[in-house]
Amino acid sequence: MAQLGQPLSDYQRPHQVHFSPYDFNGGTVLAIAGENYALIATDTRLSQGFSIHSRESPKTYSLSENTVLGCCGFHGDVLTLTKTLGARLQIFEKEHNKPMPTPSVAAMLSTILYYRRFFPYYTHNLVAGLDEEGKGCVYSFDPVGSYEREVYRAKGSASAMLQPLLDNQIGGKNQQGYVVQPMPLDRCIAVVKDVFTSAAERDIYTGDNILISVITKDGLKSEKFPLRKD
Amino acid sequence: MFLTRSEYDRGVNTFSPEGRLFQVEYAIEAIKLGSTAIGIQTSEGVVLAVEKRVTSPLIEAASIEKIMEVDKHIACAMSGLIADSKTLIDKARVEAQNHWFTYNEKMNIESVTQAVSNLALQFGDDDPDPGAMSRPFGVALLFAGVDEKGPRLFHMDPSGTFIQYDGKAIGSGSEGAQQALQEVYHKSMTLKEACKAALTILKQVMEEKLNSTNVEMCTVTQKNLFRLFTKEELENIIKDI
Amino acid sequence: MAAPCVEQPKGGFSFENCARNSRLEQLGLKKPTAYKTGTTIAGIVFKDGVVLGADTRATEDTVVADKNCAKIHYLSDNIYCCGAGTAADTEMTTQMISAELELHRLNTGRKPRVATANRLLKQMLFRYQGYIGAALVLGGVDVTGPNLYSIWPHGSTDKLPYVTMGSGSLAAMATFEDRFKPDMNREEAMKLVRDAIAAGIFNDLGSGSNVDLCVITKDKVEYIRPHEIANQKGVKQGSYRYRRGTTATLSSEVKKIELDVFGTEVKHQPMDTQ
Repeated sequence: MAQLGQPLSDYQRPHQVHFSPYDFNGGTVLAIAGENYALIATDTRLSQGFSIHSRESPKTYSLSENTVLGCCGFHGDVLTLTKTLGARLQIFEKEHNKPMPTPSVAAMLSTILYYRRFFPYYTHNLVAGLDEEGKGCVYSFDPVGSYEREVYRAKGSASAMLQPLLDNQIGGKNQQGYVVQPMPLDRCIAVVKDVFTSAAERDIYTGDNILISVITKDGLKSEKFPLRKD
Repeated sequence: MFLTRSEYDRGVNTFSPEGRLFQVEYAIEAIKLGSTAIGIQTSEGVVLAVEKRVTSPLIEAASIEKIMEVDKHIACAMSGLIADSKTLIDKARVEAQNHWFTYNEKMNIESVTQAVSNLALQFGDDDPDPGAMSRPFGVALLFAGVDEKGPRLFHMDPSGTFIQYDGKAIGSGSEGAQQALQEVYHKSMTLKEACKAALTILKQVMEEKLNSTNVEMCTVTQKNLFRLFTKEELENIIKDI
Repeated sequence: MAAPCVEQPKGGFSFENCARNSRLEQLGLKKPTAYKTGTTIAGIVFKDGVVLGADTRATEDTVVADKNCAKIHYLSDNIYCCGAGTAADTEMTTQMISAELELHRLNTGRKPRVATANRLLKQMLFRYQGYIGAALVLGGVDVTGPNLYSIWPHGSTDKLPYVTMGSGSLAAMATFEDRFKPDMNREEAMKLVRDAIAAGIFNDLGSGSNVDLCVITKDKVEYIRPHEIANQKGVKQGSYRYRRGTTATLSSEVKKIELDVFGTEVKHQPMDTQ
């Protein structure tokens, strides 16, 4: 039994409040690799706590003609990381007389992240593009540089809501007798819109709009789709 | 030729009134004292062949190494002050590994050559970068390899200048060898033909009699990458010359 | 020892597990999180009464727990109360005070006053030193006319012509500060409260979904739920119906249930008329 006269646990001892160099600005990104395309989508809400900073802040960054980065988490780190990547890509292009291939962008990002192993960039990253054979490729990263090539992946605030849906709809998981086959682009876009629409119903950090970017051998095309605004 | 240059040939940081850097030019001259090395690029791959000067019967010929592996897909042949090449080869190897580590792809031959050229140019007196020396390097290099652009052959001299060649000879016999290369080279040459041609030309310009111990040869192909010829393989070719 | 919870509680809270829970917390156990209505609630006084407004989102951390919850609570026929904070606290507190007011009405035979409801609420909240996380907007019409209060979790109250509470209170208050004027008519007042709640819904992530309003005048209460569906649910592009047999059946077995059959016969018996 708690003794009378003893202060309740909230007041029992003084707490030291530490400065935190990190914040979380929400946002969700999602990428899918198709046969001859890669798709990467993001919501456009940027928030902090209970406030919205921007309704027009997509978290995908076009790195080259056929590589797009999806990057969310702490926006300060997102800005620095994308700036660094942009510079490294330009240097590479000048040094080696070619644009950096998507698999190399992924490898380089991994080293950039691991370089900060003990004070990491607080960012969730996805790289989408085309590989050397022209096939769609998606790479997903943890904040300290572990990465892996995948077919579909969601990252960020609502990732835990999107991923199971993708597992089911694209991976064909938990469906008896379902044959997984390459998904045509139009159906892929429809699934992406639907999973984001569902996430916006329940995740307060996902909303306003989604920006869907599709990378093919003909270049990058983007489309916008509205979400809930509350 | 050099008699009037004495005022301006002492520092690497002073141009002569005619706009020349004598120390660099002397370094290029130093190559002409070196043993001959030949590189030929074909559509199948690149071949490098070098002469080894075994000046005494007491020399262990195998300990003279003038062809080095830079990466699995890049070889390098050299002529001039062989000791100077150590730093350059080290640099090339580190760059190639670093490129693979960072980008998970093979480094282009041109990029490797560029990286080595940057080091070759960093001579000077004050706070040199690691690896750089106070004088120009006294060695010329032939970089041979295969990358996404196909088989490639680059020549780099002590001034850091590098140029791509279909066939190139460096070292003491280079003038005659280059002349011979121009006569024998054609675009549809096979790698086998190129190997034979390289040894034939080497034989012509060498003072000693060419045999399987005083030459070194390698090929770099898309399929087998860097491969150094064994004594037996060399003998097989030599007997047909 | 804690007795099994079969006896009816005598009243008040149970603190039985406080020592155990604080020990568990010291060992690293996380406290379960309660639903919070990160909320926008607001009210204004107008010419003939008061208008109360609320959004309808309930959150659990960053996830929306209820997309259409009711945050305007009944206290008595002429008094309603909007609640923000811990959902359970606002719900239970208003219910308890509602019961007390009803008893008061039966004892006195008079319609309860808003000031009375305010007193009861603040005294209860003060007693619990802020541990009951309820932030309230209290409004109604009694013999003295329209009355509007805001009540804080520690028990302090304000009597004002326009008030807001909850995480969206700043957005809502900004709307009031801009456009409130005394003695508005009914339509103006409803529009202003709607706009204030909408400001919270769209600009505060803790608030969302619909606008509920409650208009209380001398002889009439209009509880309008929803007043406006501010956010339509997104329409799906595809269909997500599964083929029959999509769910894997690992094994199946049909068992016959053995039944004992009893028969009952009802016989006609002529009435004894002798």
